[in-house]
Amino acid sequence: MTRRRQALTAWLFLTPAVLFFALLFFLPIGNQLLTGLYDSDGVSFVGLGNFSRAFGDPEVLHSFLITLAYAAGTLVVGTAVGLGLAVILNQALPGRTLFRSVLLIPYLTSVSIVGLLWRNILDPQVGILNRLLEAIGLPGQTWLSTHPLATIVGITVWSGAGYTMVLFLAGLQGIPSLYYEAARIDGAGPWRRFFAITIPLLAPTTLFVSIIGLISTLQQFALPYIVTGGGPGNATSLYAHRLFIVAFNDNDFGYASALSVLLLLVVLVLSLAQLRIGDRANA
Amino acid sequence: MRERLFPGDRIAAYVVLVALGLVTVLPLLYMIVLALQSDAEVQSGDPVLWPADLQWGNFTRLFEAAPFERFFLNSFVMAGAITVSHLIFDPLVGYVFAKMDFPGKRIAFVAVLSTLMVPFFVRMLPIYSIFASLGWIDSYQGLIVPFLMDAYGIFLMRQFIKPLPDELIEAARVDGAGEFRIYLRVILPQCKPALAVLGLFTFVFQWNEFLWPLIATSRTEMRTLPIGLTLFNQEYFTQWNLTAAGALILFVPTALFFVITQKFLVEGIALSGLK
Repeated sequence: MTRRRQALTAWLFLTPAVLFFALLFFLPIGNQLLTGLYDSDGVSFVGLGNFSRAFGDPEVLHSFLITLAYAAGTLVVGTAVGLGLAVILNQALPGRTLFRSVLLIPYLTSVSIVGLLWRNILDPQVGILNRLLEAIGLPGQTWLSTHPLATIVGITVWSGAGYTMVLFLAGLQGIPSLYYEAARIDGAGPWRRFFAITIPLLAPTTLFVSIIGLISTLQQFALPYIVTGGGPGNATSLYAHRLFIVAFNDNDFGYASALSVLLLLVVLVLSLAQLRIGDRANA
Repeated sequence: MRERLFPGDRIAAYVVLVALGLVTVLPLLYMIVLALQSDAEVQSGDPVLWPADLQWGNFTRLFEAAPFERFFLNSFVMAGAITVSHLIFDPLVGYVFAKMDFPGKRIAFVAVLSTLMVPFFVRMLPIYSIFASLGWIDSYQGLIVPFLMDAYGIFLMRQFIKPLPDELIEAARVDGAGEFRIYLRVILPQCKPALAVLGLFTFVFQWNEFLWPLIATSRTEMRTLPIGLTLFNQEYFTQWNLTAAGALILFVPTALFFVITQKFLVEGIALSGLK
């Protein structure tokens, strides 16, 4: 087959994809960059006004700061739990396949179920947790009022730990067993081997887990929307929730577009950092 | 012989696993207990670990209170259509990137992969505005079209097709098969395991999708299950038993997924690196 015919065939096969990505990715992104420069009426040009407004908007700043706290908390706790589980389940323990599958269930469960279930469990009046606590004579909790953000972090870790575990398991299986055998012959004990071999050689996986974790937590919307509605007050109104409110409650699409462009910038920087570090790790 | 970290390390490992396993499973099992409780049990302060009488009638009441059969249908149409679309387009595009040479290939591939970095929020508002002007809000095409294919699936299929021997394609070409026929008859049949992973994951993720169906629908009869259930709970907020019954219906595909994939699930996720 001639090169020319192959090129034609290739582009013919790609036509649906070209149309799809042009119309439903690149066109909207371009549109978003432009809309961000206009007022809520979509007609008056305000230049970078929406962006400078965002930096001076206390609601947006608040949402950004609690999103960072949420992302950091989820990352630290989630990584620790996921790594711990992966290390345990990387051993030849009977029943490990069952444990691996079970721990993954929440990850593939609808966020509606996860959110509603935990809202019910933690409800101070009708929740099963307080009923059990009171039955054994302990005071009830009101975590969704007293520690709302930490509670959302906890639920996020609950639903994501299995996935983090799977990523770490893949990383662990990529470490040649030769290294462990050599270290053992040299007299290194299990703890020493963990800190001198496992942790350093898992660094690329840990980085990958951290960055995809950050990217997804920065966009978290559904969980607080369902569990707390962003409350109490605006204690769990994460950045994406604020964006949603600006767009669909305030109907200010210009401002919301500017906010989404800022989100895109942060995610782009993180993704590119991931690519660069990934390249260096592979080199 | 097995080395020990400390005396009883194996027991400690099982204690941790069982504890975390219970923390994972008990809330989901409690969903079943809750769904079968009477209204009185839901309201009472007693720790109900098993309902006195299993209230199967809660499911009937649920369907009378809100059109859950319609929510189910909507979710099924949305997730099903998107899955079929992915199974058609992701391997085709993946094949082109894996096995064909053409000018512009590199830039096209980078363009596709770059979409992985785009948060849905960045596409959401313009797509909403365009669909609103097309009259696609509260329509199936409105729910389906933004997700017809994606870079994850394309990349997964490319990685799977790349190691397949080129000789297969050459031989078919010598036999005079057309290009599309080669793809359909030679490549696709080799892809069955990857297609199974792609199809199952796409279906479950789309079945669970929350943000877009929340925005793209406003009429009750066009809500998908996750949205319908969440809004139902806001309206019937005291009747947690009915909400839990609805949650069980929403959980069915996830449960089936685990039954089907038991064997290759963990390896499948590691292989695809799916979000």
